[in-house]
Amino acid sequence: MSLLTKITILNLLLAFAAFGIGGVRVYHKFRFEVQRETDFTLMESFDQVEQIIRAGVPAADLQNRLMSIARVDTAGPADRKMVFADTLAQHPVLKRPELFRKLTVTREIDGQFYRFMLMNVVIEQSDISRIITNVLQDLFVVLGGILLIFNFLISKWLLGPFKATLEKVKSFNLQSGEVPVFPKTSTVEFKRLNSFLAEMLAKAGKDYRSLKEFSENASHELQTPLAIANGKLELLLEAPGLDDSQLQLVQDAQEALSRLSKLNEALLLLTKIENQEFAPQTPVNFSDILNADVQIFEELAGMKGLLLSTAISPSVLLRIDPSLAHILVGNLLKNAIRHNVGDGWIKVRLDVGQLTVSNTGTAPAVPTDQLFGRFQKSNLPGKSLGLGLAIVKKICDVNAMTVNYTYHDGVHEVAVRF
Amino acid sequence: MKLLIVEDEKALMDNMLSYLSRGDLVCEHASTFREAQDKLVSFSYDIVVLDIMLPDGNGLNLLRLLKDKQPEAGVLIISAKNALDDRIAGLELGADDYLTKPFHLPELNARLKAIFRRRKFQGHKEVQFNEISINTDTHDATVHDVSLILTLKEYELLVFFIANKNRVLTKQTIAEHLWGDHVDVQDSFDFVYQHIKNLRKKITAAGGEDYIKTIYGLGYKLNG
Repeated sequence: MSLLTKITILNLLLAFAAFGIGGVRVYHKFRFEVQRETDFTLMESFDQVEQIIRAGVPAADLQNRLMSIARVDTAGPADRKMVFADTLAQHPVLKRPELFRKLTVTREIDGQFYRFMLMNVVIEQSDISRIITNVLQDLFVVLGGILLIFNFLISKWLLGPFKATLEKVKSFNLQSGEVPVFPKTSTVEFKRLNSFLAEMLAKAGKDYRSLKEFSENASHELQTPLAIANGKLELLLEAPGLDDSQLQLVQDAQEALSRLSKLNEALLLLTKIENQEFAPQTPVNFSDILNADVQIFEELAGMKGLLLSTAISPSVLLRIDPSLAHILVGNLLKNAIRHNVGDGWIKVRLDVGQLTVSNTGTAPAVPTDQLFGRFQKSNLPGKSLGLGLAIVKKICDVNAMTVNYTYHDGVHEVAVRF
Repeated sequence: MKLLIVEDEKALMDNMLSYLSRGDLVCEHASTFREAQDKLVSFSYDIVVLDIMLPDGNGLNLLRLLKDKQPEAGVLIISAKNALDDRIAGLELGADDYLTKPFHLPELNARLKAIFRRRKFQGHKEVQFNEISINTDTHDATVHDVSLILTLKEYELLVFFIANKNRVLTKQTIAEHLWGDHVDVQDSFDFVYQHIKNLRKKITAAGGEDYIKTIYGLGYKLNG
C-alpha cells in the first residue's frame, strides 16, 4: 500500500471519527434547543390563555385538542410550579403517536383554581438524526473527493521527485558503479535524501570496485610466490643425500602447493570473469572448440575405463570469449570424468542452442542445483577443488546462457542453453 | 647451449638458473626490458626464455627485436595462465613454444632441449644417451642399433627422461608432461608406473641397461 493511500485512509478514518462525534454533539445541542424553544412557546401560550381567562372568557371555551383546562379545588405549592414533560399522543394529521411536549401547571384565577395542560408537537428525534446524518454524509463524500484530488496533486507534484529518486536507485548497477544523477527538487528533505543516496552509492561502487581489484590483485600476486616455492622444492628434490622419507616430505609439500596454486588460479579466474574481463567479441565456432577439447579428454576418459561418445552438430556459432569456451567445456568434461563410475560412459551432445554433457555416476550428496555453489564438493574424495561448476555457472551468467544440472537414475546431466 | 632468461621476478629466475645450470647449459639473465635489449643487441644466444610481462616494457617487443637481430635463436615464451592473446601473438611473432606459469622445471628443461634440437640439428635430429639413440624426426629409438617398438607415450617418456637425466621426476611432472594439465582428473598418478614398466622392459629386452631408478612413492630418475 502506498504512503499516500495510507495517509488518505487515516485521514478518512479521522474525518469519520470527527464527523461521528460532531454529529452526536450537534444532535444533542439541536434537541436541547428545540426543546427549549418548544417549552418557551408553551409558556407563551399559557400566558396568553391566562390573560384571556382573566379577561373573563370562560375557560371551557378555550379548550381544544392541545389544551385542556380543568377546575380543581385546591392546589399545593408543588402544583403551582410549571412542569414540563415528554409524552406520546395521537398526531391529528399523521394519525400515529408522536412525541409531544406537555406543560402542566395549576393557577388561581379570580379565586378559582384551574389546572392547565398544554401540549405541542416536538420535532421528532429520528427526524433530527436523519437530517444530521444526511448532511454529514454529504459532507463526508465531498471531503473524500477533495482528499482524492489533493492526493493526486500531491503525488504528482510534491512526491514526484521522490518517485524519480526511487526509480534511479532501482536502476543502479553495482557492477558498473555509475552513480545516477538525481532530479533537482526544491524540497529540503528530498534534497538531503538525494545527496545522501548519491554519496552512499558512490561509496558502495568504490568499495565494490576496490574489493574486486583487491581480490584480483591478491590472487595475481599469490601466483609468483607459489611458483617460486614450488621451484625451490623441485630444486630440493635434486639435492644429494636425501633419504626416501625426506623426499616424501618434499613431495607432500609440492602436492599441497600445487593444489593451492590451482585453487588460487580458479579463484582468480572467477574474479576475472566477475570483473568482466572476458568480453565476447565475435561469434566463435563452438563446434570446433568442443571437438578439440573432446579429443584432449578422450584419452583421459579412456584411462579411467570410461566411454566418451559425441553427437556434435557442425558450425554451431556462439558469442563467447574463446578461452572461456575452452574453460567451460573443459570443466564440464573434467567433472564428468572425475565423478563417474567404473565402466561408465560420458555423452557430449551439441545442437544449435544447447550443449549437454551427461555421464554415469553415483547420486549426488546435495541437491543438484547446490552443486553450482563454490566449494560444493560431492561425496568423492580426491583432487577436486569444488570450483569447477561455480566457474561454469559464472561463465554462463556473464554470457547470458543458462545452465541446469539434473540427476536421474544414475545419470548426471548438465545442460547449457544459449 | 647458450641461454638468456628474461624474467623480472628474481626468485623465479634463481630457480630456473639453479636448475638449468646443472646441465650442459650456459645461462645468462636479464630482469628488465632494457637489460634484455642490451644483451640481445650485444651477444648471441641459442635460446631466449622470455617472460611476456616485464615491468618496463612488453616482452613481445623484445621478441620482435630478437627475430630481427638473431633470427636463428629459439624462443620460449613464459606467460600467465589464460593470457591466450599473448600466447597467440608470441607464436605468430615466431616464438617456438610457450609455458604457462607455474610450470615444472623439468618441463622447462625438456622444452628447451626440444627447441634446441629443432633449431640446431637440422636434418640430423638425434638424441644419444649411452647405448640408446633417438631420432626425433622419425620417432625411432634404438638400443645397440636394435629398434625399439614404442608407443607414443613411451617414446615421449624416454625423450623426457633423457632430457632430464640424473634428475628426479615426480609422477605428477611426468603425468603432466605426457597428458597435459588436465591429467588431474585421474584419482592418482599411479598409471605412470605402467608406462615406465613397459618402457624398461622393452629397453632391457633389446639388450639395454635399466637406467631408470624408482624413488619409492615419489617418482623416477634416469641415472646416466
